[in-house]
Amino acid sequence: MRTKLLKLVSLALAITLIVAISGTSAQPRAYAQDRVFKLWYYEPADSAMGIAWQNAVEQFKVMHPDVTVEFEEKVFEQIQETGMMILNSDEVPDVMEINKGNATAGLYASSGLLTDLSQVAEERGWLDILSPSILTTCRYNENGIMGSGNLYGVTTYGEFVMVYYNKDMFEEYGIAVPTTFEEFEAVADAFVEAGIVPLTLGAGDIWPATHNFYELVLYKADRDLISNFQFLTGDVDFHGEAFTFGAEKLAEEVEKGYYGDSSTGVIYADSNAAFVQGIPPMNLTGSWAFGGFISQITDFDWGIFIMPGKQFNTGSGGNLWVVPENAKNKDLAYDFIDLTLGTESQTLMANAGGIPINADLTQIEDPKILELNAAFASIVENDGIAFYPDWPVPGFMDVLGGGLQELIDGNLSPEEFLDSLDEAYNDYKSSLE
Amino acid sequence: MAEHIADQSHMMMHHRAPARTLVAKYVSLLLVTALLIIVLFPLFVIVLNSFKTETEYTNDGPLSMPNHISLDNIRAVWERLDYTIKLRNSLFISSITAVVGVLLSLFNAFALGIGRIKGRLFFLIFFAIAITLPQEALAYPLYYMFKEVGLYDSRWSIIIIFSVLHSAFGTYLLSSVFSAFPMELMEAAVIDGCNKLQLLFRIVVPISWPSLSVLFVFFFIWTWNEFFLPLIFLVSNANQTVPLAVSMFQGQRGAAATFQSTAALLGVLPCLIFFILFQRTLAKGIVAGSIK
Amino acid sequence: MSYKRSRGYAVFLIPGVLAFLLIVIVPFAANIGISFTKWKGVGTPEWIGFDNYEKAFHDELFWASFQNNMQLLIAMTVIPTILGLLLAVFLYDNITHHFGQRATSVFRAGFYLPQIMPLVVAAIVWRWIYQPNWGILNWLLDAVGLEQYQRNWLGDGDLALKSIMGMMVWFQLGYPLVIFMAALQRVDPQLYEAASIDGASWIQKVTRITVPLIRPEIYVVILTTAIHAMKVFAPIYVMSRGTRRATIVAARFSYKNFFEVPQVGYGATIATLLTSIIILLTAVFMFIQTRQERRENQ
Repeated sequence: MRTKLLKLVSLALAITLIVAISGTSAQPRAYAQDRVFKLWYYEPADSAMGIAWQNAVEQFKVMHPDVTVEFEEKVFEQIQETGMMILNSDEVPDVMEINKGNATAGLYASSGLLTDLSQVAEERGWLDILSPSILTTCRYNENGIMGSGNLYGVTTYGEFVMVYYNKDMFEEYGIAVPTTFEEFEAVADAFVEAGIVPLTLGAGDIWPATHNFYELVLYKADRDLISNFQFLTGDVDFHGEAFTFGAEKLAEEVEKGYYGDSSTGVIYADSNAAFVQGIPPMNLTGSWAFGGFISQITDFDWGIFIMPGKQFNTGSGGNLWVVPENAKNKDLAYDFIDLTLGTESQTLMANAGGIPINADLTQIEDPKILELNAAFASIVENDGIAFYPDWPVPGFMDVLGGGLQELIDGNLSPEEFLDSLDEAYNDYKSSLE
Repeated sequence: MAEHIADQSHMMMHHRAPARTLVAKYVSLLLVTALLIIVLFPLFVIVLNSFKTETEYTNDGPLSMPNHISLDNIRAVWERLDYTIKLRNSLFISSITAVVGVLLSLFNAFALGIGRIKGRLFFLIFFAIAITLPQEALAYPLYYMFKEVGLYDSRWSIIIIFSVLHSAFGTYLLSSVFSAFPMELMEAAVIDGCNKLQLLFRIVVPISWPSLSVLFVFFFIWTWNEFFLPLIFLVSNANQTVPLAVSMFQGQRGAAATFQSTAALLGVLPCLIFFILFQRTLAKGIVAGSIK
Repeated sequence: MSYKRSRGYAVFLIPGVLAFLLIVIVPFAANIGISFTKWKGVGTPEWIGFDNYEKAFHDELFWASFQNNMQLLIAMTVIPTILGLLLAVFLYDNITHHFGQRATSVFRAGFYLPQIMPLVVAAIVWRWIYQPNWGILNWLLDAVGLEQYQRNWLGDGDLALKSIMGMMVWFQLGYPLVIFMAALQRVDPQLYEAASIDGASWIQKVTRITVPLIRPEIYVVILTTAIHAMKVFAPIYVMSRGTRRATIVAARFSYKNFFEVPQVGYGATIATLLTSIIILLTAVFMFIQTRQERRENQ
């Protein structure tokens, strides 16, 4: 009995001690007359964006010495899943990062939770910095569909999908960078014949394969199809040429062994890790992996190429800064956005391996980074931005990504897969009318 | 007393020939140890990978031994996750929830198990509803309720919610334990002139202390490991708990495997320590709770 | 006698009942109300009557999810209960008898350990184990010469749920084990002795003597693990990340509708249907249990 009591007492003491040291829950420590600027984002601190934005924070502190800056690095999941609840409360920051697209930004905008930035953007000259195709993901109409309507978000970077390739392996097998789709297939076939899995793929996560799929679709797509698909402005035939090509060609590629026979058991992080280790010669993924590859790949020479022979490319403007409707210091928010769009932060972002939209490219020395930015610039110039395939319909990623996993496993035929896309897409579309 | 009976039972079950017993003895030990190794293996893997550098992991895979023990990961992750604060929050929330949960269970079970109120079954099912409800169903209504009273983004919202939810299990368990409570003690106390409150705290609590301790340990651990409702109600980083912090590295695109591993380790250690400290209590409590 | 007992005790129920009404009953009622609406989660809900329920009855994915719950019932209730019981008896007899109480405690703590981990953590590790290219399971199969059994454990639609089931057995085993080991203290050794003299085998002793005597604990374990299996969410969410037909469960499906689509009204419908089924099963189960208790006490 005494030992039990002792244990209980010591436990109680320990708890009291810890609680005492820590104080009460979150309260800003500023004085009443000082303002507190709250900023949230979830890009990791060591990413290109993280580095650029931290710099912007420093610039902000210089600009507003009387303001206390409260920055929180958030858990992505929390923002993605409970964003609505947070924006609908008073616990909102003054500016925060959210995912672009109808399912998040569009949803919040159409629910009245975000500040309309149209006027501020014009006053501060943001519209001069952001090109029209980048602006597409910043505007949302009253149904929450992107492309038109008020300006609710501002992006500070771009992203796109490309093929990273292992130069050493290409040289070893005497393979040149493909310039047409047929050449690309020939390259992959050559590797398969040599007993090497040509492309790594993290289909264990739900979204990676959607990029491979969409890139194929884009070979047979035109701007009309893409616009209709993304903005829900016209009829989309999922059994038409483009989508059928995507599904059938992907199934064919899987069969030919382009992705190995267990890609659905590999998660994205491991797929990239395999590339870093020098195992697969090619990796079709996005520019967000670029910075990581620069710092981690030490054993071999590597480069990038866009999937050749088409105008359109998976990609878009990056994640958005939004100012919640309930934010308390909107003017401070606008100042901060200004700074992240400024040349200083943008050039910093470029040098860290990101794709800025307003950088002084003469300040960049690394040839790989120049190559990356040049690739993106050329896509934008050719009006090639095609966004991402899961965006149009909320919850579409499940049908699309999940369906692709089944397709790759051989449990779903291309026909059935396209049927499921058709159903989910048109169900939602008709619910809007 | 219980141990004595237990010993006898062992003797009774096995008065066989000694030679066979010797072989059986070590074979059985081997089998169970093998099973234990399989069960504990995942934990071992986490520990292993927390001390590696990222390059080591990428090159050698998750099963390789680290070349040298590197504490860098732990330091880096601790700082990045602001772990001290998350630890404090988890401790605060889990311990208070456990206490309140036990108290609620105690009061309920006192009325149902010992008091034998009419409609006892009805109340048991009433409380059991909490166990049957999926948490998603509660999320939105509770969100709006707590927002109204200003408890959204507060640790108290979690404390209140889980004290109630766990007390359902506690009520169920304690009332079955209490239904076999030695009534002679109660009757003697009543004759001595004790009121209900005194009965509760002077007789019932001391005797059922082992069961109460078990509940405390369970509630503490369960609350600690909760993820979903804390994700909703603990918005500010300063209010968040350890499991929320651990998921930081899942990110939009996923992060370094060794960081994930270290975060996992930091996520498990506190509960592990707590469990080891209170394992005896747990054992004794469950034993005593079952003796009828 | 019972009338005298029940006087004055009702007041002790007040805090519990009040708290319950507030935190459980009112939200649940609200949830039922929401299930009759179409709602995004903010703004005003739109009343649509039974439309959601109609949709649910025709929703293939919904019924597929229930089938998966049934499978998980095997992994979370049936196997852990049986295995836990056998292991408990085994530890209790052989290990304690030959190696003492200390050894048994160590084993028990070890087997219970998975229960104290946050599931997020367990899932990270099990994904490593099941990784097709360098995962521990495939590596082990290769090492002992069984490469032909290597599989894409989590990716392959047919295997994915079974792989998750394997993880759930690992996770659940400790819970029945701990409870049963405590219950075994209650069994009178004389019964075993009598049975030995009659020539009973070990299995016969377990099924004819042990099981009937620890029936109350077996009930508790079966009920609580079954409810858990019906409600299970976290491991599916973390391990399979999407809502493939192969691995989706009812709770994951309702979560998707609550937070990912969002169609809060439909999510509420799923949750209500799920809860109703569970409550029904629980009520029946408890009724049977209470009736048996009453019979035994007479």
